[in-house]
Amino acid sequence: MTASRLLPARKAGARNEALAGYLFILVPMIMFLVLNIGMVLYALYMSVWKWSVLKGPISFIGARNYQNILSDEKFWVAVRNTLYYTAIWVPLTMAVGLFLAVIVNQKIRGQTFFRGAFYFPAIASSAAITVLWIFLVSPSGVFNEIRGALGLNPLFQLLGYGPNQDWMGDYHTALNSVIILNAWTTSGTFMLFYLASLQSISHEVYEAAAIDGASAWQTFWKVTFPLLRPGHFFVATVGVIGGLQLFDQAFIGGGPNGEPNNALLTIVLYLYNALFIQINFSYAASMGIVLFVIIFGATLIQRQLFGRTPAW
Amino acid sequence: MVSSQTDAMGPAGPVAVAASASPVGERGGRWRRRVAYVILIGYALLMFLPFAWTLITSFKTLPDSTQLTIIPQPFTLEPWRFVFANLTPPIPVMFGNSLLIAGVVTVTNLALGSLAGYAFARLRFPGREVLFLVVLATLMIPDQLRLPPVYVLFSSLGLTKGVAAYIPVIVISAISASSIFLLRQYFLTIPRDIEEAARIDGAGFFTTFWRVMLPLATPALSAVTILQFQGTWNSFFWPVVFLSADPSHWTLPLGLTLFRQSGGFGSNWPPLMATVVIATLPILLLYLFFQRYFVEGIAASGVKG
Amino acid sequence: MRRVLVVAMCLVLVGSACGTSTGTPGASTGTGPVGSSGGPSESAGAAFDPSKITGNVTIGEWDSSPAEHSALSSALAAFSVTYPNIKVKQENVSGDFRAQMITRFGAHNPPDLFYVNAEYAQDWIDNGFLAPLDDYIAKSAFKTDPFFKNYLQIFTGSDGKIYGLPKDGNTIALAYNADLVPTPPTTLDELVTTAQGLVGKKGIKAPMCLNAALDRGLGFIEAQGGSLLTADNKAEAIDTPASKQALQWYMDLFKNGLGTTNKALGDGWCGEALGKGDVAMTFEGGWLLGFMQSTYPKVNWKFAEMPTGSTGQKVTLSYTAAYGIGVDSANKDQAWALMQYLTGPQGMAVWTGGGIAVPSRSDVPVPAGFDVIVKGADYSKPGSGFIKGYNDIQTAFANAFDAEITNKTFNVDPVIAATVSAVNKALAQ
Repeated sequence: MTASRLLPARKAGARNEALAGYLFILVPMIMFLVLNIGMVLYALYMSVWKWSVLKGPISFIGARNYQNILSDEKFWVAVRNTLYYTAIWVPLTMAVGLFLAVIVNQKIRGQTFFRGAFYFPAIASSAAITVLWIFLVSPSGVFNEIRGALGLNPLFQLLGYGPNQDWMGDYHTALNSVIILNAWTTSGTFMLFYLASLQSISHEVYEAAAIDGASAWQTFWKVTFPLLRPGHFFVATVGVIGGLQLFDQAFIGGGPNGEPNNALLTIVLYLYNALFIQINFSYAASMGIVLFVIIFGATLIQRQLFGRTPAW
Repeated sequence: MVSSQTDAMGPAGPVAVAASASPVGERGGRWRRRVAYVILIGYALLMFLPFAWTLITSFKTLPDSTQLTIIPQPFTLEPWRFVFANLTPPIPVMFGNSLLIAGVVTVTNLALGSLAGYAFARLRFPGREVLFLVVLATLMIPDQLRLPPVYVLFSSLGLTKGVAAYIPVIVISAISASSIFLLRQYFLTIPRDIEEAARIDGAGFFTTFWRVMLPLATPALSAVTILQFQGTWNSFFWPVVFLSADPSHWTLPLGLTLFRQSGGFGSNWPPLMATVVIATLPILLLYLFFQRYFVEGIAASGVKG
Repeated sequence: MRRVLVVAMCLVLVGSACGTSTGTPGASTGTGPVGSSGGPSESAGAAFDPSKITGNVTIGEWDSSPAEHSALSSALAAFSVTYPNIKVKQENVSGDFRAQMITRFGAHNPPDLFYVNAEYAQDWIDNGFLAPLDDYIAKSAFKTDPFFKNYLQIFTGSDGKIYGLPKDGNTIALAYNADLVPTPPTTLDELVTTAQGLVGKKGIKAPMCLNAALDRGLGFIEAQGGSLLTADNKAEAIDTPASKQALQWYMDLFKNGLGTTNKALGDGWCGEALGKGDVAMTFEGGWLLGFMQSTYPKVNWKFAEMPTGSTGQKVTLSYTAAYGIGVDSANKDQAWALMQYLTGPQGMAVWTGGGIAVPSRSDVPVPAGFDVIVKGADYSKPGSGFIKGYNDIQTAFANAFDAEITNKTFNVDPVIAATVSAVNKALAQ
């Protein structure tokens, strides 16, 4: 009797809860659906038409754009550059970020100061920081001056770089320069993400490890590192999603053609080029869809790699 | 000396615990700490020096700007004079525009983000997981792809001309997936008992959220405030699309970048570096005053295992 | 959720459909909402009198310098004196002018009058962004003969119609530091000898600042008897022995240390290299004058005509920009009234009197310091915009050329191969 009286009430409660849930997310969801998901669907639609900027769809071309992408050398250069950038930048920045997080997480004097300091480069806009970077690594810039003053030039000579190496202007080094730039500006952010993860590991785990006589090194690799898995997943996912969309630094450094010599041609940059230089909206849309699929795929792979986490 | 150091290390750090476990570790720990300090200070210098160099360069003459002189030879205010003499619209106008846009966008993100973040964390409704994935998927769409249709949309609504041009810039950033994500993560860490107590007292969903949960989420809210304000302040892509037509609508980064392009000073580094300083200064001040919230906010709402 | 999705899709599609539904194929003009904006057909047959037209006009412009902004402002002020009946509003289309304009064309919302750079004029004409001006020209009895032929041709579509009137134009000349080079070379052989004499000279980093691309390279290649395309622009010609030899000659300037790029010098562009004293000679257009006067007023430098090459013919490249009216511009008549003034002898004299632009008409007095630049206009060839998709050709050439000089291999074959394939791809489109 009691149970049957309670049941509709609980049902009504669940319905109210669901209603409240929908209401709470209503405005953001509408905005996402129109301004994000809607735009992707629109791009998908655009990509199967011969498209006039003024008149919209002209004639149906099916998958032809996607076939053209497959044989477009420049697109593959862009894919190679983007994957290379992501494959180096993400692990590098993760390693630096984790390293900093572990050091800062110790009870040391000035902990707050160091945490703040490492995040510092992330506060500037990408436009300002890239201009600054171009200045620093220009042929007669301070980086070349300092390595000369420190007597490091023979070492660089050995690697094939002259005393006035143009790091952003030489196509051999341009992309790597951007990698270093972005590792520099984001290592602090990654550190903060890792710190959050580190602080959630309970002390007992370490005490147990200490009792077992594990060295600090062993503790880190056997205990800390595996326990940081949700942290790795989060940082890697955020990093890969951002890395695959590299644009600002490449555009400011190399313009709409990704100069020098396609070195800074990324997928998004090439998409931009197709939109506004080649004025081929439908081709640009198809590249955007391919990029979206790549990013989505990469995220799923990472999810498999790091396992399901409580966060998702 | 030794003991005070071990005390300072405390139980929190993994290295610290391991180090205090054995006498060998204690000696090793001291060295490790010294090495750690060297690394920390070295890396901190790497973070600051480029900015210091920017500031120094803005007081140099052009020939001196490519030299490794730490004190400008000679010291000159000319780059600053050049920048201020040629800068239109005046800095207060651009500053006001930046403040308006960043301020409104921050408020909408706090309001919409906390509601949605709470719902995704705590309220049960069909399709929740899928909808949350949709939210996260929006992070995977490059702005460049969205530009043509988004512009067409707002322009057909008549929102690209005059003062109305602020609207698309604000609407498009009004809520970001990362705000929702951050707040959701934080709400997940708040024990359920607290809100259940409130529910038993007869509070509705919104009252529970507003009276009980929101005050507890202050660290995450401050993180969103600062990250969103900083991000919007620095943003360039949408402002340049919608606001560049009328200089009286320019934001600070917009004005400075366009000024750099049209100032005709290619690699005339000193005034260029002066503009970098101007563009970064407001956020720098904000950061100096609210650094603790910045750092603790992100740490608090990041990923908990 | 599905319903929300559908609603969202509709919103998006309606948003664009508002723009697209009016533009049924073939009917690209005359669909403006206001009668007076429908084009010249409104008063069919009647003569166009700009002093009888009232209303507003927005001009979409892009400043390359503060000096350009004030020069344009004075030209617009002069227009307001002559035609108080039309109000002009200056609209800054800065940032990425090209991207912004295309976005606005797509939204059927361009400014009434705007800059059209030679570089992409043909692409814009092809995409139907620009309104043909022939009717206006006929009704106003506006004379186009005084425009330099090469300039006007860039803005003429494949249908023979005129889509833009050149607002100014520039040709490339030799700019030299008169302290280091007392007498400028008049032939390319002399240029080499002069440069050789400057190698290792104290103070300078290289004798010449050169462009590792077609932007300047094409002029040298043609002066030495080579060419990129056949005379009718229908096929590539960079593959011929003559072109190969000419290209090799140009690349050897880099190889022999007679010249280098602005990048290698650490300068933003070659004008800056000349100003800083990094080089003694470079090749730039009239824009160099204003820059040197404002940034490096103390440097003693001069313009000289381009040295002649093995062909013995005078060769230089021209760069120009026009004013255009969009098919979707709201106030076409007002825009034309402003355009015919700004590109007419009177308005252009005010505009070029600002000292930063060079006239595109032969009947406008040459501003001080630009004699050499205007001289070149008679025999110049377009440096861009003479073939659709030229950007891809330029990029392909520049990438391959850059690789050869960066790697110090100085082999022209890969450059030719890359250029040939890019030209063929562009022609096939």
